[in-house]
Amino acid sequence: MTEIIGIWIAAFLTLCMFSFLYKDNPFYKFAEHLFVGCSMGYAIPLTWYNAFIPYAYNPLFLKKEYILIIPFIIGMMYWLRFSGKFSWVSRYPIAFSMGIVGMGVPMSMHANVLVQMRSMMLPLNNINTILIFIGTVSILCYFFFSKAHTGAYGKFTSIGIWFMMVGFGASFGYTVMARISLLIGRIEFLLEEWLHLL
Amino acid sequence: MRFSESLQKLDRRYIYIVVALAVIIPLIFPLGLKTYTTTPVEDLYRHIDAIAGRDDKAILIDFYHDPSVMPELYPMEIALIRHCFIRKIKLFTISFWPTGAPIIEMALSEVKEDFPDIKANVDYCNFGFKPNALTIPIILGMGDDIAKAVETNSEGSKLEDLPIMKNIKNYDNIQIVMQISGSTSGYLWYTYARPRFGVDVGVGVTAVMAADTYPFLQTGQLLGSMGGLKGAAEYEKLVDIFAMKGLDYSKKKARDIAWGSKQYSLSNIPYKYKKARIGMDAQAVVHVLIILFIVIGNIGYFLDKRAEKRKYVK
Repeated sequence: MTEIIGIWIAAFLTLCMFSFLYKDNPFYKFAEHLFVGCSMGYAIPLTWYNAFIPYAYNPLFLKKEYILIIPFIIGMMYWLRFSGKFSWVSRYPIAFSMGIVGMGVPMSMHANVLVQMRSMMLPLNNINTILIFIGTVSILCYFFFSKAHTGAYGKFTSIGIWFMMVGFGASFGYTVMARISLLIGRIEFLLEEWLHLL
Repeated sequence: MRFSESLQKLDRRYIYIVVALAVIIPLIFPLGLKTYTTTPVEDLYRHIDAIAGRDDKAILIDFYHDPSVMPELYPMEIALIRHCFIRKIKLFTISFWPTGAPIIEMALSEVKEDFPDIKANVDYCNFGFKPNALTIPIILGMGDDIAKAVETNSEGSKLEDLPIMKNIKNYDNIQIVMQISGSTSGYLWYTYARPRFGVDVGVGVTAVMAADTYPFLQTGQLLGSMGGLKGAAEYEKLVDIFAMKGLDYSKKKARDIAWGSKQYSLSNIPYKYKKARIGMDAQAVVHVLIILFIVIGNIGYFLDKRAEKRKYVK
């Protein structure tokens, strides 16, 4: 019985969302706000029980691992963001977090730049590597603005535009597929679980 | 109003109705269009299938998404879990998103109902939700000792006490990490785990992100990928062709069946295991429709432009 009620509520909320396609209306607004509220309401206790209790409260207060007081205090400083007088304190944990991001820079450079560059330096012995070579060089030239895009150089950079257009087209085609997949998912739910037509 | 002008000013709601019908009709009356398998998906299947029945190897699936992208990603997860259960492949699941954890439970229980002999913590283990802030420490820690880095499963049991952890120590025992994601194409795994520990990484991503995976496939940083509903449909098909029949993967056979003239019959397959393939029927119809809309829209635009030009000349 609970499952049936759940399916009917989900179907009602799905139709509320679809009603926006006709025009903005109170049903859509209601479903939209409910969605945001539910997501937050779900995430807060889950994070409390799966993050705060096992990784902060239990080690600090039950296992007496007092070294954790330092990250605990740094974390608590975030809350001072809501204080007019002491909001500047919250910049310290932000700075600390940014430092952690910095830790990932060398690894990120390796994965996203160096390895990618290495794959551009393959012998030009097949059509794929030749295309990749031409595409990479012509696009890099297109984004080199210290030289006017005229004459032979201009023609070469326009090849880069074509390569980019092909890339944008592929991305757009995939985007259409993604959006339609989401629609298919919702309609599948309505037809299968709600109306039992599939 | 001229025909060309009316095309330009067509109420978008008529288009919505046509698109809705183009989705609904193929879902109710499937067209049975062929699903062609592609190399990135075949590579994933082959690599995972290679450890069938082995006790010292497992795969890890990272559910890195929330329910908003489930229509695309959930069929991939179902197909992967089904593959593991059929071929007795040890499976670990984890989520660094609070809303990803219930999706793991849902997917495991949905597939498990068809495999009564598969046991939790023996054949598969759900690590459950781990806080996002611990993603990097866990990814790096698993390189030394999975049981120490992850500590507990979703029920709070110590990993080191679980039977599934026998012969499983670190990434040396992980055949592939599969990240199923709606926001990143395996970034953390190929940035931190692969260069340092050499673990293979594969992804299942939404179609929006599928194009981004190709540079990483080319370099070998990603072993394979499933892009959107199409990727899920391909994996579903490979599971039916090989795993369900107890066959080892063969590229030739995959291509012969998938690219052959006859469609592989879907009639005896439960709906949940062919969801992506039926969805692809609707997808194909809508794509044709969108191409038509683009062509008609352009015809309207050029007719309108020509009419304007004539008016100006007169």
